[in-house]
Amino acid sequence: MSAPTAVRLAGVSKRYPLLTRRGRLHSLKGALLRGELWRLQQEREGFLALSGVDLEVRQGETVAVVGPNGSGKSTLLKLVAGILRPTLGRVEVNGRVTALIELGAGFHPEISGRDNAIVNGMMLGLSRTEIMRRLPEIVEFSGIGEFIDQPVKTYSSGMYVRLGFSVAVTVEPDVLVVDEILAVGDEVFAHRCLDRIARLQRRGAAILLVSHDLGLVEQLAHHGLYLRQGKPVLVGPAAAVVSRYRSDVASEETGAQVAGGNARRWGNGAVSLDGVDLVDAAGRPVRLLSSGEAAAIRIAYTVRQPQEDFVFGVAIHREDGSNVFGTNTELDGWRPERLAGSGEMSLEFPRLELAPGQYLVDAAVHSRAGLAYDYACEVTSFTVSAPVGWPGCYAPRHQWQPRGPAMSPPTG
Amino acid sequence: MLASLYRQRGLVVALVARDLKARYRGTFLGYLWSLLNPLLLLAVYTLVFTFVIPARVPTTVPYPLFLFAGLLPWLFGSGALLDAAVVLTDNGPLLRKVVCAPEVFPAVTVLSHLVHHLLALPVLLIATAVVAGLGVARFPWTVVLLPAALALWVCAVAGLSLAVAALAVHFRDLKDLLHNLLNLFFFATPIIYTLDMIPVRALRRVVQVNPVTPLIQVYRDVVLLGRVPSLLTWAWAAAVALVSWVVGAWIFSRLRETIAETV
Repeated sequence: MSAPTAVRLAGVSKRYPLLTRRGRLHSLKGALLRGELWRLQQEREGFLALSGVDLEVRQGETVAVVGPNGSGKSTLLKLVAGILRPTLGRVEVNGRVTALIELGAGFHPEISGRDNAIVNGMMLGLSRTEIMRRLPEIVEFSGIGEFIDQPVKTYSSGMYVRLGFSVAVTVEPDVLVVDEILAVGDEVFAHRCLDRIARLQRRGAAILLVSHDLGLVEQLAHHGLYLRQGKPVLVGPAAAVVSRYRSDVASEETGAQVAGGNARRWGNGAVSLDGVDLVDAAGRPVRLLSSGEAAAIRIAYTVRQPQEDFVFGVAIHREDGSNVFGTNTELDGWRPERLAGSGEMSLEFPRLELAPGQYLVDAAVHSRAGLAYDYACEVTSFTVSAPVGWPGCYAPRHQWQPRGPAMSPPTG
Repeated sequence: MLASLYRQRGLVVALVARDLKARYRGTFLGYLWSLLNPLLLLAVYTLVFTFVIPARVPTTVPYPLFLFAGLLPWLFGSGALLDAAVVLTDNGPLLRKVVCAPEVFPAVTVLSHLVHHLLALPVLLIATAVVAGLGVARFPWTVVLLPAALALWVCAVAGLSLAVAALAVHFRDLKDLLHNLLNLFFFATPIIYTLDMIPVRALRRVVQVNPVTPLIQVYRDVVLLGRVPSLLTWAWAAAVALVSWVVGAWIFSRLRETIAETV
C-alpha cells in the first residue's frame, strides 16, 4: 500500500533576512570590507517564515497545504521546488519537479507563443527534441489555435495563463507543486486543468498544492498540512485538516479564541464528545463486524454551554487518508434547535456495505460556520470482514447472472 | 560554473536565439541591422575624422579604421556588462517562480553580445581589405590569431559580467556606478589613441597598468595592425582574463543562493 516517498521534509525551517531601509545590506563598503555579504548567509536574525515542518508525500499522493495568508505556504512550495533552500533541516525530492507557481513566468512578449513554449519547456527541464514532440499537444490543450504564432504581447491574460499551464503539465513531472492557480481560465479550462491533475495523480505523480478553495482541497487532496505562522498545526487526512482550518477561521471571525487542542482533537469545549462507538444492531459496542451487517455510530456528548447552532458530523476513512463516507446533520437536512445537558446522537446504517479492511472514524460537533466545539479525529476504528477480499471500500450486495456463459455457481 | 552552464547549453542556446529574435522583431531589415549599425558607425567616423577633425595615429592605418577596431571589442564588452547589471532583476519572475539556474542569464547576455560582435566583424575585415587593396596598408595576416585574442576578451568580459550580475542584485547603485566606470575606462584605455601618443610619462604608466589595455591591444594588433603582440603582452592579457573569470565566477557562486530571494 505504501508507495515510495517522493518528497520528504525533515525539520525544515526557513528564515528570511530582514531588509534594512536601503536593502538587505547596510552599505556597499560594509558588505565588501567587513564581509557582511557572506555573513548574512549564516545570519541568525530575520523573519522566520517556516519552522519545524516535517512532511512526507508518497508517489501518487496529493497533499494540500492550507493556512491563512503569510503562514508560509508559498515558502514551503518554493523549498520543495528547489527555488529556495532551507535554513535548517532537509528537503529531499525524488524525480523531476515542476512548479506551477506563476504561469507563463518569463514569457517574452515580443516572440511568438510557440517560441515561448519551447523556451519555457526547456526551463522546466525538457530537451529540445522532447518539447518539439509535445508541441502539438501543448497547442491543442491550451486551445490557443492559430494565435500560437503571434507574439505573446497580443495575448489576453487568459491565453497567457493557459499556455503556461499547458507547457507545465506537458512536462509530466514526478512531483508537481501547484500554488493557487487552478482558478485560472474559464470554466471549461478549469475543468480540463482538474482533469489533467487527476491524470497526473493516476500516473503516480506526487502533488503538493496550496489553495484557499477548501472544497477543491477536499476533492483533490488525500492529506493536508495546516500551517499557521510558519508552524505546522495539523498533518492528517485532508478532510480533518480542512475542518480544523475552517473551525479556526470561524472562531476568528466571531472574535473567539482559536480552538486549543492537539493534532487529533480540538475545539472550544462548549460541547464535548464523551465517547464515540461503533455499535451493532443490539446496541453493543463492537470493533469487528461483517460486511453488510447493520451498525451505528453512537456519539455520547455533554454540553457545557447550551447551543442553538450545532451540527453533528461523522466521517469514515481508510488508514491512508482516503475518504470512504462522510455526512453531517446539516447535509442531511436536520435543523438545530437546542442542545443542552448530555445525550446521545446515533448515525444508523441498516446495512454497512463496506469492503473488508480497517476503517477509522472521525466525529465532530461544530457550528454551521465550522467553528468546532469538539472535533475528534480517528476517535475509533473498526474492522470489516467478508468471505471474499474485495478491493476498494464499497461492497454492495451483488450477484452474477450468466445469460450465455456456461458456468457453475459457487458452492456453499 | 562551466559544468552547470554546459549541462544547460540547450536552454542557453534557446535563450540567446530568443534574445536575437526578439531584438529585431517587427523591423524590416531584421538581422541586417547587426551589420548595418557598425557600417554606419564606421561611415560617420570616416567623415568626421577625415574632414572635420583630421586625426592621425603613428601607423599607416587610417584613423577611422584604427578607432573602429578598438571600439568594436569595447562596445561588445561594455554592452554586455551594462546588460549584465540588470539581467537578473529583469528575469526576477523566472528566478523566483521557476526552478532556474541563475548563471544562465549572464551567460546568455555575454553570448548574445558576442553574436552581435561576430556579425559586425565582417565590416571591419572588409574595410581592412579595401584599405589594403588601395595600397594604403598591408592586409594584416595576423588576423588568424584573432580567435585567441577574442577568446581572452570573452573570458574577461564573462567573468566581470558574472560578478556585476550577482552584485547588482544586492546593490542597485552598481548600475549607475558602472556607467561612470565604463566611461572612465573608455578613456583610460588606448582606444581613441595609442600609447605613444600620450605626452606625459606618468599618465602613460597609468594607461599601461590599466588591465583592459593589454586585451584591447592584443585584439587590435592582430585584427588591424598586422603585428604579433609580444609574449609579455599575451601573458599579461591572459592573466587579466583568467583572474577576471576566476574572481567573477567565485563572487557569483558565493552569492548564488541569495539571488532568488533578493531579486
